[in-house]
Amino acid sequence: MEIIEESQGGINIFKLNGRLDSNTSQGFEKKLFQAIDDGSKSMIIDFKDLEYISSAGLRVILKATKALKREDGKMLLCDMQDYVKEVFEIAGFDSFLPIVGSMDDALQAF
Amino acid sequence: MAKNKVSFKLKSKLCELDNLCEQVERFGKSNGLSSKCIFEANLALDELFTNIISYGFNDKKEHIIEITIALKNNTLVFHIEDDGIPFNPTEADAPDMECTIEDCKIGGLGIYLAKNLMDEVCYQRCNEKNILTLKKNIDEAEPVKKRVKG
Repeated sequence: MEIIEESQGGINIFKLNGRLDSNTSQGFEKKLFQAIDDGSKSMIIDFKDLEYISSAGLRVILKATKALKREDGKMLLCDMQDYVKEVFEIAGFDSFLPIVGSMDDALQAF
Repeated sequence: MAKNKVSFKLKSKLCELDNLCEQVERFGKSNGLSSKCIFEANLALDELFTNIISYGFNDKKEHIIEITIALKNNTLVFHIEDDGIPFNPTEADAPDMECTIEDCKIGGLGIYLAKNLMDEVCYQRCNEKNILTLKKNIDEAEPVKKRVKG
């Protein structure tokens, strides 16, 4: 999986490309927590090019969302492909994680 | 010609997930399965395989997990066989689906996803091996997914 990090107006953006599974989730977790440790309070995860997610990926996102919340920060998830979104829905994560349609929607929410 | 049955062996290492994914995709494509169906089969096998290699072995040795995928009369049948400690995922506790973000526990989520994506999950312990048989109907008119308990 490829992770592209960008920053826009103080918001850390992570663009995911490929497969987020138990094989790749650790690298992603490291990057997210590095940003949180560096003081980031606003994050967007761009799912546009992510073709696959497993519970290992959900776990990392949940963990980071909790950590950010403790710091009064916020994380938004955007632009998910249907199958990926379905995994969030089956897990029930869509009820408490902020999932928005497009990157524009995400940027406007801050 | 499409082969409607394939068997392969995976080592008990996380990097074998790529191999698993490749096998499922190749089988799915050569049998004309929808990309949604391939995604769901992939996810269910990924979760169960990851679970086996994360919790199934008490030693540091390398183990082999044997997987068979077959397509019979519009039903996908998967077999997963491992020589790990006895574990019956059909009896695993379901995660609490009504939780809030603060108290959400993640344990058991992978197995919960796998069960949800399959129509039937059967467990047997036989000759010191865990044998899981999963079935997924691939009728074109798929019923709306409902959340199952347990």
